[in-house]
Amino acid sequence: MKTRREFLHGLNASLGGVAFTGMLAREARGATKEPHFPEAKAKRCIFLYMEGGPSHIDTFDPKPRLRDLHLKEFTREGEEQSAMSSGKRYYVQSPFEFVKAGQSGADMCSLWENLAGVADELCFYRGLQVDSVNHPTANYHVNTGNQFGGDPAVGAWVNHGLGSENEDLPGFVVLPELAYPQGGAANWSNGYLPTSFQGTPLRPKGSPLLDIRPQPGTTLEHQRKNLDFLATLNREHAGRHPGHEELAARMKNYELAYRMQTQVPDIVDLDREPAAVLEKYGIGKEPTDSVGRRCLLARKLVEKGVRFVQLYAGTWDSHDYIAKAHGALIPAVDRPIAALISDLKERGMLKDTLVVWMGEFGRTPDNGIRGGGLAYGRDHNPKAMTVWLAGGGVKAGHTIGATDEIGGEAVECVHHLRDFHVTLLKLLGLDDNRLTYFHAGRFKQLSQFGGEAIADLIA
Amino acid sequence: MSVFFAVAAVAAVSSFAAEKAPSKGEKLFALTVRPLFAEKCFGCHGEDPEKIKGDYVMTDRESLLKGGETYGKDAVVVGDGAKSPLYAMVLREEPDFEMPPKEADQLTRQEADAIRDWIDAGAPWPEDARIAWIQKNHAPGVTVKTSGGLNDGWTHRRYDPAGLWAYRPVKAPDPTGLGEGLNPVDSLIGAALAEKGLKAAPRADPRTLIRRVTFDLTGLPPKPEEIEAFAAAAERDAEGAWRDLVDRLLDSPQYGEQWARHWLDVVRYADSSGFANDYERPNTWRYRDYVIRAFNEDKPYDQFIREQIAGDEIDRGDPEMLIAVGFLRMGPWEHTGMSVAKVTRQLFLDDITDSVGQVFLAQALQCARCHDHKFDPVPTRDYYAMQAVFATTQFAEVDAPWLPEENTGGMEEDERYHRLRDEANEALLARLSEKQREYERAWFAEKGLPYRSRAEAKKAKAPAKDLPPGKLFRTPDEFGQERIGRKWDNRFGWEFDRYRPIAYTVYDGKTRTVKAEYNRLEMPGDPMKEGELEKTAILQTGNPFAPAAPVKPGVLSAVPGGLDTAIPDAVSGRRTALADWIASPENTLTARVMANRVWLWHFGRGLAGNPNNFGSTGKRPTHPELLDWLANELVTNGWSIKHLHRVILSSEAYRRSCEHPDAASVREKDPNGADYAAFPPRRLSAEEIRDAMLAVSGELNPEMGGIPARPDMNLEAALQPRMIMGTFAPSYVPNPRPEQRNRRTIYAHKTRGQRDPFLETFNQPGPDKSCELRDSSNVTPQVFSLLNSEESADRALAFAARVLGESNTPESAVERAFRLAFGRAPSAEEAASALAHWRECEKLQAGVNPPKREWPAEVVREANEENTGKPFTFTERLFVYEDYVPDLQPGDADARTRGFADLCLMLFNANEFVYVY
Repeated sequence: MKTRREFLHGLNASLGGVAFTGMLAREARGATKEPHFPEAKAKRCIFLYMEGGPSHIDTFDPKPRLRDLHLKEFTREGEEQSAMSSGKRYYVQSPFEFVKAGQSGADMCSLWENLAGVADELCFYRGLQVDSVNHPTANYHVNTGNQFGGDPAVGAWVNHGLGSENEDLPGFVVLPELAYPQGGAANWSNGYLPTSFQGTPLRPKGSPLLDIRPQPGTTLEHQRKNLDFLATLNREHAGRHPGHEELAARMKNYELAYRMQTQVPDIVDLDREPAAVLEKYGIGKEPTDSVGRRCLLARKLVEKGVRFVQLYAGTWDSHDYIAKAHGALIPAVDRPIAALISDLKERGMLKDTLVVWMGEFGRTPDNGIRGGGLAYGRDHNPKAMTVWLAGGGVKAGHTIGATDEIGGEAVECVHHLRDFHVTLLKLLGLDDNRLTYFHAGRFKQLSQFGGEAIADLIA
Repeated sequence: MSVFFAVAAVAAVSSFAAEKAPSKGEKLFALTVRPLFAEKCFGCHGEDPEKIKGDYVMTDRESLLKGGETYGKDAVVVGDGAKSPLYAMVLREEPDFEMPPKEADQLTRQEADAIRDWIDAGAPWPEDARIAWIQKNHAPGVTVKTSGGLNDGWTHRRYDPAGLWAYRPVKAPDPTGLGEGLNPVDSLIGAALAEKGLKAAPRADPRTLIRRVTFDLTGLPPKPEEIEAFAAAAERDAEGAWRDLVDRLLDSPQYGEQWARHWLDVVRYADSSGFANDYERPNTWRYRDYVIRAFNEDKPYDQFIREQIAGDEIDRGDPEMLIAVGFLRMGPWEHTGMSVAKVTRQLFLDDITDSVGQVFLAQALQCARCHDHKFDPVPTRDYYAMQAVFATTQFAEVDAPWLPEENTGGMEEDERYHRLRDEANEALLARLSEKQREYERAWFAEKGLPYRSRAEAKKAKAPAKDLPPGKLFRTPDEFGQERIGRKWDNRFGWEFDRYRPIAYTVYDGKTRTVKAEYNRLEMPGDPMKEGELEKTAILQTGNPFAPAAPVKPGVLSAVPGGLDTAIPDAVSGRRTALADWIASPENTLTARVMANRVWLWHFGRGLAGNPNNFGSTGKRPTHPELLDWLANELVTNGWSIKHLHRVILSSEAYRRSCEHPDAASVREKDPNGADYAAFPPRRLSAEEIRDAMLAVSGELNPEMGGIPARPDMNLEAALQPRMIMGTFAPSYVPNPRPEQRNRRTIYAHKTRGQRDPFLETFNQPGPDKSCELRDSSNVTPQVFSLLNSEESADRALAFAARVLGESNTPESAVERAFRLAFGRAPSAEEAASALAHWRECEKLQAGVNPPKREWPAEVVREANEENTGKPFTFTERLFVYEDYVPDLQPGDADARTRGFADLCLMLFNANEFVYVY
């Protein structure tokens, strides 16, 4: 069995003192850890994951040129052909009108009625590129820096770097949709970091945490008696194995779990929130109820000291009919997300909370014609996308980078995802090059092998 | 000496004898400091004037001493390294100037001290020519002959010999020096203990020992009767009783189930492909059973290697061989309509190259995919030479008749349920086709056209404008359900292969271009007819579209004999030759790697601490002689794994108590337990916890092998909707009857995208990466799983009913429960408090009318439909639940039994249950 302590000792033996003492010192500092960049403003993060890959062309990156090219034949060059990108393809214009929002004049399609009201809080970025064209690998890439899964997610790294502000709650909480995203729970994995950094999904329906309540018919009082008996057994056992430290830790976990059984359902319960708050987030109404509940929950969780909340909304994978599919999705997230931004601002929390809005890739300016040309969508595009940031330390009210005239590829302020990861960490006070973990014979980091922060995104 | 230990300093060559011998400072600089500067500093402080940070240039002595904008000429205090800020920076002790900035690039203590010593020596900076001369004639370390790197610098670089241990021939110590009558394991461990002045803990008592070794070899707890029998036998003849016990356990079929699980961790076994579609791999279970058989039959390890790497080449006519070589395809992999064929093919090639490296050779080869290995003598050429071995390896699922030893039971019933599911889906598609036809008729009628269907219009060569545009569905439900139906039709069809004698295997031939992989891959009649015969080349930055120098199939050239090992470059036979090289007694890695794994699975730690990485970055062996001795034992005893077990298990080291009489000095002198002064306790693995609960409750069905079993899973997790490409995945549904569900966990269906939360929380590793050593963390979700889950409640109730059925009095029931769960009788105090707790719980239970549990016969899925942007619903029928026979339910038990079940549940939760000593 490998315990944390043992691991550290092993490290000492194999590496020499330098790294080891640094780690121990940080451990000893207790729950909250000092950031690498004390000047960083953001202390926590809400990551709005638009699963499926939202189309930049139909949300925040208008391409008037596509109006001229609409339904003209499109040819793709290069050897990286897939079955899907072959065959006859056509340019496709956006079915939506675009407006200029806020003082900053941010581009938004007109369906963003509420988000337009907080446009000046947002920093749009159009220069990002990723590697993968398939959902699960692209999800893993965005979440863990590694396309193939199995590495720690951003939320796990951030908790590793900044520690926990509330020891009774997990530091990394995931608010999935009813359906888990492609790639499943590996999207919030702790990877090779200690298990305590794993993302804890709070399920939107049924039991928020699996098995968080005793079996029906067992009251908490009854369970208390059971646990007291268990403690008797464990005490006797510990007496026979005085040198075995894990025993006490495991007993402590039972008591923590007992407390969480009542605490977690309380936090998840939104029924006692004021009507005005529910109204603001669009809770109790369609199509905003589902995302609205989770946006409000995200705010409550960060208020309670959860370091990193990731919320999934989708699926934006509109291959077939962008007008209908994106046309329904945008109103489902628009009001809740705008409410979250303004709520954080009103509570004075936006200045030290980082909000990220992104999907796993953008979408193509072209499409094979399906359904006889009446319905058209867009395929996956790793070379162009729009993401936005808001909150602590972000260059709000700016649009950075640009794509080409058809939205096919980023051409200005172009950065690979690893630089974006470095940027996110930097905004949270963490240095990717110093936020490392020794595993399988080398120091590993989120960006895999280092990157540079995108200075244009930072205020 | 600085970084390297003064081992093989090369003698000065006479033609340079005229050169003055280098001073200590010059040598430090030429051999250590200058290369460090170049590798770690010049990127920002030298080479490129554009990139210079802090105005500090380090490429010549004058600039170095002049300093940069912050420290100026104080950066280096010539003659006093310790006072020089540069030294503090590289120690990372200078706030905000920890250098190099990347923690991953940090210098070792020895490297930093070399800089200090060089400054102490006056920071001499000889001419480049002299530096080169010193490097050539005075460098420490050794060179390693390989197939050659991408540049001469790499090819001729020097290595710390200590990091090359695994490339040296296995040198078993002379047994005559190991002490009369002692097990050589103990002699070799004892030497290190004695050196530290540590005494070994005494032998554990027989009850502890039988529990330890039974879990170790079978993954199950010993039965109370077995414990008593062993304790009695051990009193008469401790050695004989132990030998008999070990023999009995090694002969039991449960041994193979437990040790196959270890191997499946390393090879990443799963029943699905992972990624976007996460298709079931309907026949991989045959590989799982092959591994179990291999361990039970004590298949010689060299043969085990050959069969897994080249079974198909050895004998295509033997189904066993076709199944075994399925190893090559155990990683996650898929090829979708979005994927680029060359890219996914390369993913396989990279995966298998690295896998073979890690699994059999403990070499992390992926490091050499984009460049020559940074630390080990593995040139990128070798990586691609190994990869070339697999360049003709192609996937296929081929007919391979059932073997007499394979369990084909339960297929008919399983297939019947699968058919129900498939038929329901087909009926849905038929209904929707009918709708489509109806809408087409209406479409033509509305347009006043004389056709009744699209097909008919097409046949009549109607112009495009007179053809209806694809799907004419009218409601979100119609659109959404049709898509699910179509996707599931494809999946379900493939999954029928689960019941067919098909091997998930490979063949040699040309690489065909496959559009997308969504069904069984059949083997072409002529493997050389269609496709491309791959020509492997070194890929720049690993990019399949950037081939550089071509390479021939080969092996790792740094391993002795590697350079002389010829791999044919004919289409067939490459893998056989590779397997022969790996399985050769002369290969310095293979036997050590397996001996180390076996040791690790017994002791919870490897002699070499990174079983998948014997390179210089892996942990060095704590007992190199012991490792070599074990490796030699393995090879010279016909590669018998069971022989290795017997040798290890008969040692005193294995039989030591976990409690050391002088625990304080052990903690002080051996905080890691690397000296084996006491035996390390361990937490049961995920599978062992579930299997032990089933064994103790009396519900475990010991049936072996066959198509994957479907145990109960937390119902919310089982029905948790999850996305696969373009749709929902079908729900997880358990088997209908308890005896089918309550099989050993190794037989549970393993879906990459839907892990059993109970097993996952107890650290069952994800099947995407090779797992060399499981974690055993201690986290709160484990409490919820073990304390609150239906699985635990069911086991506890069955345990209670079993015990009450076997006991006459409350006292004897309590005693029996303790004996079953902990392998011992309770103390008087424990018995008293258990009885009191039972009485109290019985009273509480008397006031409870247990709610009747319901199982869902269907589940409704909701999502937004893409064509309409509106929500749709889909109802999935769960046929098994219509016939589902639950385990014993609270409603079927009286308050006395339920109260006792409370007690039993706490026994399962107790530390004593989940830890083995």
